[in-house]
Amino acid sequence: MSTMTMKIDGKPVKAEEGMTVFQAARNAGIGIPSLCYNEKLEPFGACRFCMIEVTKNRKTKLVASCCYPAEDGLVVKTNSERILKIRKVILELLLPLAPSGPLPDLAKKYGADRSRFPLEKGEEITNCTLCGRCVRYCAEVKKLNAIGFVGRGVNRRVELMPEIGNECITCRECYGRDVCESGRFVVIAEEFPFLQYAYRGR
Amino acid sequence: MEKSKSKFVGVRITDEQASILSRLQKDSRLSKTEILIKGLTFLDEFYSLGLDRKPLSDELGALEKEAFHYAAELRRVRKREEAISEMVQELHNIDEIVDKYHCDKSALIQILLEIQAKTYWLPKHTLMWVSERLNVPMSQIRQITTFYKAFHLKPRGKHLVRVCLGTACHVRGGPRILEHTERALGIKASETTEDMKFTLESVNCLGCCALGPVIVVDGDYHGRISSSQVEKILSSYT
Amino acid sequence: MTKLESSSDLEKLRKQIVSKRDPKRLCITVCSGTGCQASGCEKVSAAFQEELKNQKLSDKVEVRRTGCHGFCEKGPIVILHPEEICYLQVKPKDASEVVSQTLKEGKIIDRLLYTDPTTGKRIAHESDIPFYKNQKRLILDNNRKIDPKNIDDYIALNGYSALAKALSGISPEQVLEEVKKANLRGRGGAGFPAGRKWETTRNAPGEIKYVIVNCDEGDPGAYMDRSLMEGNPHLVIEGLIIGAYAIGSHEGFIYVRQEYPLAVENTELSIKQAEEYGLLGKNILGSGFDFKITIHRGAGAFVSGESSALMSAIEGKVGEPRPKYVHSSVKGVWDRPSNLNNVETWATVPFIINNGADWFTSIGTEGSKGTKIFSLVGKVSNTGLVEVSMGMTLRDIIEKIGGGIPNGKKFKAVQTGGPSGGCIPEKLLDFPVDFDELSKAGSMMGSGGMIVMDEDTCMVDTAKYFANFLADESCGKCVPCREGLKQICRKLGAISNGKGTEDDIKDLEDLAEVLRDASLCSLGQTAANPVLSTIRHFRDEYEAHIRGACPAKVCKSLVTYYIDPEKCLACGLCLKNCSVGAISGKKGIIHIIDQEKCIKCDTCFDVCPEKFNAVTKISGEPVPKAVPQGTEIKKKKR
Repeated sequence: MSTMTMKIDGKPVKAEEGMTVFQAARNAGIGIPSLCYNEKLEPFGACRFCMIEVTKNRKTKLVASCCYPAEDGLVVKTNSERILKIRKVILELLLPLAPSGPLPDLAKKYGADRSRFPLEKGEEITNCTLCGRCVRYCAEVKKLNAIGFVGRGVNRRVELMPEIGNECITCRECYGRDVCESGRFVVIAEEFPFLQYAYRGR
Repeated sequence: MEKSKSKFVGVRITDEQASILSRLQKDSRLSKTEILIKGLTFLDEFYSLGLDRKPLSDELGALEKEAFHYAAELRRVRKREEAISEMVQELHNIDEIVDKYHCDKSALIQILLEIQAKTYWLPKHTLMWVSERLNVPMSQIRQITTFYKAFHLKPRGKHLVRVCLGTACHVRGGPRILEHTERALGIKASETTEDMKFTLESVNCLGCCALGPVIVVDGDYHGRISSSQVEKILSSYT
Repeated sequence: MTKLESSSDLEKLRKQIVSKRDPKRLCITVCSGTGCQASGCEKVSAAFQEELKNQKLSDKVEVRRTGCHGFCEKGPIVILHPEEICYLQVKPKDASEVVSQTLKEGKIIDRLLYTDPTTGKRIAHESDIPFYKNQKRLILDNNRKIDPKNIDDYIALNGYSALAKALSGISPEQVLEEVKKANLRGRGGAGFPAGRKWETTRNAPGEIKYVIVNCDEGDPGAYMDRSLMEGNPHLVIEGLIIGAYAIGSHEGFIYVRQEYPLAVENTELSIKQAEEYGLLGKNILGSGFDFKITIHRGAGAFVSGESSALMSAIEGKVGEPRPKYVHSSVKGVWDRPSNLNNVETWATVPFIINNGADWFTSIGTEGSKGTKIFSLVGKVSNTGLVEVSMGMTLRDIIEKIGGGIPNGKKFKAVQTGGPSGGCIPEKLLDFPVDFDELSKAGSMMGSGGMIVMDEDTCMVDTAKYFANFLADESCGKCVPCREGLKQICRKLGAISNGKGTEDDIKDLEDLAEVLRDASLCSLGQTAANPVLSTIRHFRDEYEAHIRGACPAKVCKSLVTYYIDPEKCLACGLCLKNCSVGAISGKKGIIHIIDQEKCIKCDTCFDVCPEKFNAVTKISGEPVPKAVPQGTEIKKKKR
């Protein structure tokens, strides 16, 4: 495996072939924040919180570090003004919908605690950022596909499939905080009528 | 043909039921879905003879429940055997379409479109059956059918009224035509009238931009319409 | 149909077909694209067939249903060959007159001819009509001559000769070089050099490669690809096979959106007919090259037209874009090299092979070669599909071809590039149609939608329309697009309701920046363009809305409908048509709108006869007090 050298925030970082910039940074102790990353799962690229500025051949562009393959000679910035603005606005957008969990602390850090985008009348707090870790975990790790995304755009939500039947083995690994940081999934699952029946049946 | 999933979606069966089912499969050398269809056909005959018998497996029961739910959604009071035999016919039709595509998983969207072309909407038993035949998780089918606008998971009216809201039609007053049609039918876009006569939808561009604003009812295009013509067009459909 | 075993077989077949066709034979062509279908062309074709039967002329005169002519405003369009007399807006009842007068006696029926709006002159030949005269119809021209359901029509007009040329004697590398030399840039919107994309795919590791036609055409207002796919599918298929040969691919996909059933039907039939002739399948024209095509239908999602989303859909998964940073030319469908191009791009390829790259580069500008098809629609006199050389100015397209703005209204803006593009105001109309120039003007070429807007169009409403469209079509996977577009829609909604503030404009700009920088795919990345370009060129309209007025009198919350008592002559039309009974009055009594009941549906404004013009829309000004109920109308002094 060939090794590559990149510069992340001025610090030289080594990476192996096949690694993403995110992984290489983590290994070198540089923490790029993310709201949808989980080392057991394939990178998803949905939260856009891990955006970085990469410069190669004097061309600079913004990319998601969790998906961008590490390259030799890449110059990376993880905290430029553009990136801080992106993180601030993302938090402003998500905070009213998910006021518990990891977001409030992050919001204080990036100056997003007062959101310009409050909830409208009739809009509910979901505490779900649609990071998809529950869906991906059940699909990639457990290979059961008992949880899925439903709908499109703003109507997108996480659902336990109505006919989960044997597909859900109630392992409850999706309850873990490493999968669902806000704890929202526990609520969805516990309220689901089928699971109530299943627990009683066992 | 693809090997179907070992456990049918939606139900837990006991070990005793599972062994009966696998013995049946071995003896008859039929696939699980073929046995299910045979079971339903027998149920249908039982009921028509006036007999009442508990289904052999809970899996049949799941399909049976769906058949009644389906009939209820169509707001028709149906005798049990009629609801089941209609569903069996639909499942046969689905088998034909799936076999035409050689049970290819990547043709999932095409298969669902073809099924819907015949039935106008996709009742749950259809999705369960496709999930079985193609060995595709129900979550994927549910995601696809809720992601794309072309799929309808609720019963549809006899006539489909679509109002174009593409840019060219928008600039020529498309939204006002939609509002007028909503008022005329008494429903909002993507709803069906109480008498199941009309389903109303808005579309983002039909490709007849020079004739904007445009309404399509079933296959009939009506271009350059004004609000005052809407009622006349609708009343011409029985 | 016998299989063609070589290119000389194809030539023989062509000569055979042409020899059986008498160029002097009378032929009536009826345009049968979706636009004319909507105008009733099927009934017209049937009427002609019936009339010819009655007059016992069925074996002397052919009735041919052809592809889209592009002049959709004036459909159904009928052309009588060989004189090429062009009749517009033909109705079924005109059939007998046309057959008796024009066909039999050569008399031209004036009322069915095109009338020039400025000179009043009637024009008999299609090529003399200003709409067509100023175009350069390279790709679209054959649409009006062939029946898309009959491959022999296409072969008779030299169809598949480019394929034969490529397969007999030119190596795949040479074909690739020619396309690169021609500098053909993708017609789907981004304008990426097609030759370079082909080369990347060709050189990517892997035996199995795919070529894909993107006919998902989701931009509302654009229907160029529909016309080509419906009207001349063989042209696209020929281009695809040539491209596959150059790249080294043996399997192709044509992704057609489900909203184009006629395009699906005609393409399916064309593939079957091409297979029967051996132009698809194994050992095409005896060259040893194998190629097959599968059609994939969309299911109603604009985002699935994005190339990585389209490839996901072909795999049977949900059509969401993928956050990969490796080009799909290297890893696409099933992680294999896949070359995706737009319908128009593929359709241009046979012309480049037949006429050479030098010929192609002689048309157009330095950076943008060849022609481009636009759908010129909206508030313009002649709407339809327009094909011009790159480099023609927007002004010339709108005025010389489009015939300017109808009803004496003033031009305000032209929107290009669909929901990813921007609005171009009057002062920038002399910009030429060119990939790089249009970007400089703050918009983009896009797939070719060109929507003309006049003084009665509200730019805030337009931005709101596009934002709502994109929010509806967003896949919802990434936060900036899903949540950001939602907030943009809300802010624009507030502004158009008169509840906006200056801060809202700043917030819109911030959201736009994050959308552009952080979105996962180009839907999100370009989603803010309509908002940004309208703020840039029409900021005064935004500010007017914030102050409580809609200058174009479109935004309902800021408009009041008022009947001018000086002009109302109590004809009763508005009262009869008001669906909520908000108008009071009777014969001889001035009609008055009850503002509490008025829902601002615009019907009264629409039906009030032009000679009275009594219904007015007021915005940003105080509404005059209503006259007392029962006031008599002002009688005109004779």
